[in-house]
Amino acid sequence: MQVFLQTIIGGVSLGAVYALVALGFSLVYRTMGLVNFAHGNVVTVGAYLASTLYLTSELPFALAMPIAIVLTGAIGLVIERVLRPLENRDFDLMLIGTIGFGIVLDALVIAIWGATGRAVPSPVPSPPLDVFGLRIRTYDLVVLAIAAAATILLVLFLSRTKRGAAMQAVAMDHEAATAIGIHVGRSNAIAFMIGGGLAALAGGLVGPLLYVSPALGGALGIKGFAAAILGGFGSIPGAIVGGLAIGILDAFTAGHFQGYSELVTFVVFTVIIMIRPTGVFGERTVNRA
Amino acid sequence: MSTPPAAVPRTTGTPRMRTRIAILAAAAIAAWLLPYGLDSYAIHVVDVILIFAILAVGLGLAMGIAGQVNLAQVAFFGVGAYATAILTTRAGLGFWVSAVLAVLATMAIGLVVGTPALRVQSHYLGIVTLGLALAFTSWVTNAEVSGGAEGLPGIPVPTLPGIDLTSEYLYYYLELFAFVVALGFGEFIVRTSLGRRMRAMRDDALAAGALGAEVPILRMTAFLLASVYGGVAGVLYAGLIQYVAPESFSIATMFLLLAMVIIGGRQSLVGCVVGAVSLALVREALVDHPTIAQIAYGSVVVLVVVFAPTGLAGLPSRIRDAVARRRGRRGVPARMTPFVPYEMSAAADPDAPAILRVQGVTKQFRGLKALDDVSLDVPAGEIRGVVGPNGSGKTTLFNVISGLYRPTSGRVEFRGRDMTAHAPYRLARAGMSRTFQNLRLFGALTVQENILVAIDRSHTAESWRYLLRPISVLRRDRDLHRRAREVIDRFGLTEFAELAPGALPYGTQRRVEIARAVAAAPALLLLDEPAAGLNGEEVRQLSEIVRSIRDSGVTVIVIEHNMGLVMSLCERVTVLAGGRVIAEGTPAQVARTPAVIEAYLGDSMGDLPEVSAT
Repeated sequence: MQVFLQTIIGGVSLGAVYALVALGFSLVYRTMGLVNFAHGNVVTVGAYLASTLYLTSELPFALAMPIAIVLTGAIGLVIERVLRPLENRDFDLMLIGTIGFGIVLDALVIAIWGATGRAVPSPVPSPPLDVFGLRIRTYDLVVLAIAAAATILLVLFLSRTKRGAAMQAVAMDHEAATAIGIHVGRSNAIAFMIGGGLAALAGGLVGPLLYVSPALGGALGIKGFAAAILGGFGSIPGAIVGGLAIGILDAFTAGHFQGYSELVTFVVFTVIIMIRPTGVFGERTVNRA
Repeated sequence: MSTPPAAVPRTTGTPRMRTRIAILAAAAIAAWLLPYGLDSYAIHVVDVILIFAILAVGLGLAMGIAGQVNLAQVAFFGVGAYATAILTTRAGLGFWVSAVLAVLATMAIGLVVGTPALRVQSHYLGIVTLGLALAFTSWVTNAEVSGGAEGLPGIPVPTLPGIDLTSEYLYYYLELFAFVVALGFGEFIVRTSLGRRMRAMRDDALAAGALGAEVPILRMTAFLLASVYGGVAGVLYAGLIQYVAPESFSIATMFLLLAMVIIGGRQSLVGCVVGAVSLALVREALVDHPTIAQIAYGSVVVLVVVFAPTGLAGLPSRIRDAVARRRGRRGVPARMTPFVPYEMSAAADPDAPAILRVQGVTKQFRGLKALDDVSLDVPAGEIRGVVGPNGSGKTTLFNVISGLYRPTSGRVEFRGRDMTAHAPYRLARAGMSRTFQNLRLFGALTVQENILVAIDRSHTAESWRYLLRPISVLRRDRDLHRRAREVIDRFGLTEFAELAPGALPYGTQRRVEIARAVAAAPALLLLDEPAAGLNGEEVRQLSEIVRSIRDSGVTVIVIEHNMGLVMSLCERVTVLAGGRVIAEGTPAQVARTPAVIEAYLGDSMGDLPEVSAT
């Protein structure tokens, strides 16, 4: 039981990071029906930016993060702007376009920061808490708190602001949204920008948990995507639940299958997508016909 | 939106054919002589390029031709190579035996990877196949049998009697042979029945299914083909390098392969080869600066996607078009010629049993009841009208009848058999054909190919003929072309045969869609608002066409808002409102039914004083 609970706790903080990645995917998807395959690479860029600012420039972690978020938000804007001519026309081409951006970002990361990774020390040096015999790292709590705060802010933005409401409208029917005067392109751009920002948030937070390397984003990206699908693509509560579920699944498979844990995660994910493509909270059908 | 009159393309005559043969001959000679001018390193590079070309053709077949986003091609490659390695080094089998087993193993994996395509498409399929490719690398890096991260060395060189394949010069000819066969077989598929169906499915899976293309089998076939090409490439790779390691089959290789196919032009197999060769050469030139090469080809992928979606293969025709536009030469605008009526078949038997029987069908979309206990009998040989206000469930009814929707309850009997919720392609094969309200023509196929897809009734499961009886495939295809010509001529579309439907005027597109539905030789034809967007003269022609189709022995059900057309064309009319049948009878009877007047004009009209014409 002790081991069981400890495994869950270990999975939850990574799960929160997966949830943030999933939110980035979902936000772009619900707004424009596109899966941004470069998202994982933006996460890598965010992780490197945050860790560079934190380690090399010796900025405090709380300052390094926002700067990284702004920069990756800008990357999101660039991707959206370049691919805008294809919007609502050919999704398969857009998908390949985002893969193209992923290839470029991947190479840029290696060109700038090198092919070897780096370890990032925890910005919260206090010792782990001991709750009923369970060890909880303080940094895990920080990750959870920040992820929760980001989610709440995002939900408030979508539901309480005019811009957010406009984005919801675009998500439901982009033609009708255009007809009532909403700038669909700008709405998409904001979705991509927030998506990029969330990627840096996830990448920055995960730095001290994992090893920051060029391969980081690939693994996080595909697990975040799995999380988004598991919860129901485009759904915000779905992204959170899916992220935590994948995190916990990950922690268990790592314990039981060691090197094969990735294999098991992907196979489980494939089976889930086959059985229920719309996920737990998903409403929209897969093919937006 | 008005469409400019489409231009007739220059005829494709013998001179063009002759150039093509000349180019092929020149390419063959160049390929044959190539090794004589290369040093030992260069020939190795060429050997690797040929392997990538085979992989790219396989990926092009799945992605470009069949529209199945397949990011697991590199895993097929890996399975082929690893299976060869394991069977030769661990099980001690001979190279060629291992090669055959390896290709079979890859095909099995291909079917597994393709299974998700039955449920999901596009982005989802992309991520699932990518996940499975990652799972493969994760497995080979960890498993003992595959040698872990270090890989497996010591694969024996394949032997052929009289040819020493340890020489990479002679290995080149083995690969060249495999490549020519692979490309030739791919082109054979693309240009005949199977490929045409795949392209139709890529353009519009729904319409392809409604015309009898077995979409699930076609998707699996696409993955099967991709896996065969991947497996063959993997075997050749194992024989060439004699060593396999996980990093050769990484996601980076997958994306490189994808870039080759996209840059070359995914919808043309030759384009895929051009992309593979040129990208591999660029990568070779930048071999000391791999990151720069990666940035370069990543950017080119983005640029190609945005500015030249047809890739390098599409450039010649784009340039030709641009030149033609600049010169302002348009050719003679193509014109539709009059429809040639069918000969009367025997008059329909008035006591004929109903060809279609809809019984108590209800269709619920969450809270909304789109159809509520709808029953309907249509006797053979009738033209039945289905009318009703917008949102009354007419198209939903068509979708239930043609198998696109599964009814919540009730049954649909077609030609005396219960066909409720059968897949659309099964209904199509049983003799049902339909058009769509918003036109669903296959955009990247010519008008003639659109018709060909409909005429083709062969089973995709019989595609083994491509391997064992290629001549019979060709002969059948020639026969299909002849019959397609007949349909095209009859519908007055001769001058449009070689054009893409998207460029045609709206009225012509409508006629193409009807011709396509009729080409499937249905017993029951469903027309969903065939007159929408047509002008008066076109509506008159339409009415003539529909009547003639019926006279040839086809039962027709037509949804229409144009009341003049319904009244003059249909023998009986069924009126839907709010998902229920509110009236049925001859047009004159129905027009007098109070419930119909109420549904169309609202019940307040009943209170108005009657206007008398004095």
